[in-house]
Amino acid sequence: MLLFGPINVLNDLLLKFFSADTINYFVWPLIQIGLVVTLVAAWVAYATYLERKISAFMQARLGPMRVGPWGLLQPIADGIKLLAKEDFIPEKADRWIFFFAPYIAVASAFIVFSVVPFGPDWAVIADVNIGLLLVLAVSSVGVLALILAGWSSNSKYALLGGLRSSAQMVSYEVAMGLSLIGALMFARTLSLSGMVYAQGSDSIWYIVYQPAGFLIFLISGIAENNRAPFDLPEAESELVAGFHTEYSGMRWSLFFMAEYAAMVVVAAVAATVYLGGWYFPFVDRLEQNGYHNLYVVVSLLVFLIKASVILYIYFWLRWTLPRFRYDQLMDIGWKWLIPSALINIVLTAFAVFLVQALNGWRDMKTIEAVNQGLNLTATGKIIMFVTGLISVFITGALLSRINWRSRDFNLKTQRRNIRLVNVAKGKPAVEAVQQ
Amino acid sequence: MRPIGPIQIGVPGMEVKKPTLVQKLKRFLFIDLIRGMGLTLKYNLGAITDKDSVAGKGIYTEQYPKVRPDVAPRFHGAPRLNMDPETHDTLCIACNLCAIACPEDCIDVIAMDVEIIVAGKPRRKKVLDEFIFDTSRCMFCALCQEACPTSCLELTQDFELATYSRAGFVWNREMLEQGRETVKYTS
Repeated sequence: MLLFGPINVLNDLLLKFFSADTINYFVWPLIQIGLVVTLVAAWVAYATYLERKISAFMQARLGPMRVGPWGLLQPIADGIKLLAKEDFIPEKADRWIFFFAPYIAVASAFIVFSVVPFGPDWAVIADVNIGLLLVLAVSSVGVLALILAGWSSNSKYALLGGLRSSAQMVSYEVAMGLSLIGALMFARTLSLSGMVYAQGSDSIWYIVYQPAGFLIFLISGIAENNRAPFDLPEAESELVAGFHTEYSGMRWSLFFMAEYAAMVVVAAVAATVYLGGWYFPFVDRLEQNGYHNLYVVVSLLVFLIKASVILYIYFWLRWTLPRFRYDQLMDIGWKWLIPSALINIVLTAFAVFLVQALNGWRDMKTIEAVNQGLNLTATGKIIMFVTGLISVFITGALLSRINWRSRDFNLKTQRRNIRLVNVAKGKPAVEAVQQ
Repeated sequence: MRPIGPIQIGVPGMEVKKPTLVQKLKRFLFIDLIRGMGLTLKYNLGAITDKDSVAGKGIYTEQYPKVRPDVAPRFHGAPRLNMDPETHDTLCIACNLCAIACPEDCIDVIAMDVEIIVAGKPRRKKVLDEFIFDTSRCMFCALCQEACPTSCLELTQDFELATYSRAGFVWNREMLEQGRETVKYTS
């Protein structure tokens, strides 16, 4: 019953206790927040389970099998174990900062879910018109938690991990923000629901227009979450455990939860911006046939599946690639991702300009409408797809030309200076100073 | 003055080969990355499609408590005192040969004399009273098994010998005859 119409049953019940305004602006949001927090917490818990399972499969093992059928109750057992463990605070640690850092991490990861559209209508808590900006702003507060945790632990490994993570996250945030601008040119809104509607009305996913942007976003998202192959801040073989070396028990698990929640955030944003969010062809027929709530639930499932696919790519990359060196990490961030994001913006702007210029030239029609995002006709879509694909190669070729031996640039000049000194073979270029 | 040649990277005298066009293209198109991801995906799918999920085509690990491994035929494990299958009397004749053969001196055979009547005359017979086997000192050479004239003492293939205390390693006659209880996992 509940699935086939608007939720009138609950609304009537609530109207007996509260006024209509209270219900709309207070009671329903609270219910939504409760649902979303539960959903995300469960999702995060089972992301850890899936991570262990998928890593096991990729290494020809079985993974957790003992707790429940197929080890399905393992996250709950882990949670109970962590709750029961001692919450140890080092003697010389900065107690209050040490105390609060995990909460900042978790809060910054979970606040983002207030704007993520899980589905249409009641499946989104707040459809703010600066949604994407809020996501980027709030999720970057997570860096603060890592720095504070690393600093307050009063341990060299934790401090090194905190320093590394701050450098890494600050440098990859730029590429992450810039890579989204290409998609914004088509959506013409920062609201995440608006972007889904824009893709729906254009009946296309922006990954088709923006393959380069999607790749940059994915790579910088992985780096932003400190995941392998970019897990320098918590490199086990070098820094024990990075910023959370001194943490134990539930406080440690809060960091763990924050990491996975941040992963889910990036997956959700990537699914929303590039994979069409909860939009799926033919699902809106349910709405037209009057099954409103069923439509919302199906859309929600579609969204979860899309985000899970991106999460799978996360796991997949983690268990395929080895960790990067630190200089390589900075190289990829500053010499490849940020310039390619900038190039992507320019090329996308050019492509949008091209489509607009071609519209009406020799009776060619490329733009259908611009009321909800940029809606293109079939011709316009083909042009956009081809230019998007070409721009990947242009970006790659340009950057590999620019970055060709950029690393031994200084070494090159130094060598040349030494070689210009005419010395016989076997003698040092600079004579040792005689005392 | 020597002409300035191509810039060498690394140790002087060590030639660094320039990448060929195919190698450059491979790097540009992430061919090796895609190959590596294909390999892990293959393993993942193999593990998922592995029906019985017990060291089959996709899973290589042994599911130990669930499936017990097959040890080598020459493996020597927990000791056992064999009994006559029909009468359930012990086969041990308390001859003490195993204790003499043991290089680690970990066997104690305690015998007692029993009065019996053979052909109307009272005779005394030596029978086994207690058998102490210290598995913590045993090196599982099976010399005792070789020495036993009645094939009573035998080192079986059972390998789960861990206990919670040092005293638990000392097996008495009952443990040797009945075997120790271990938890059997089925799932």
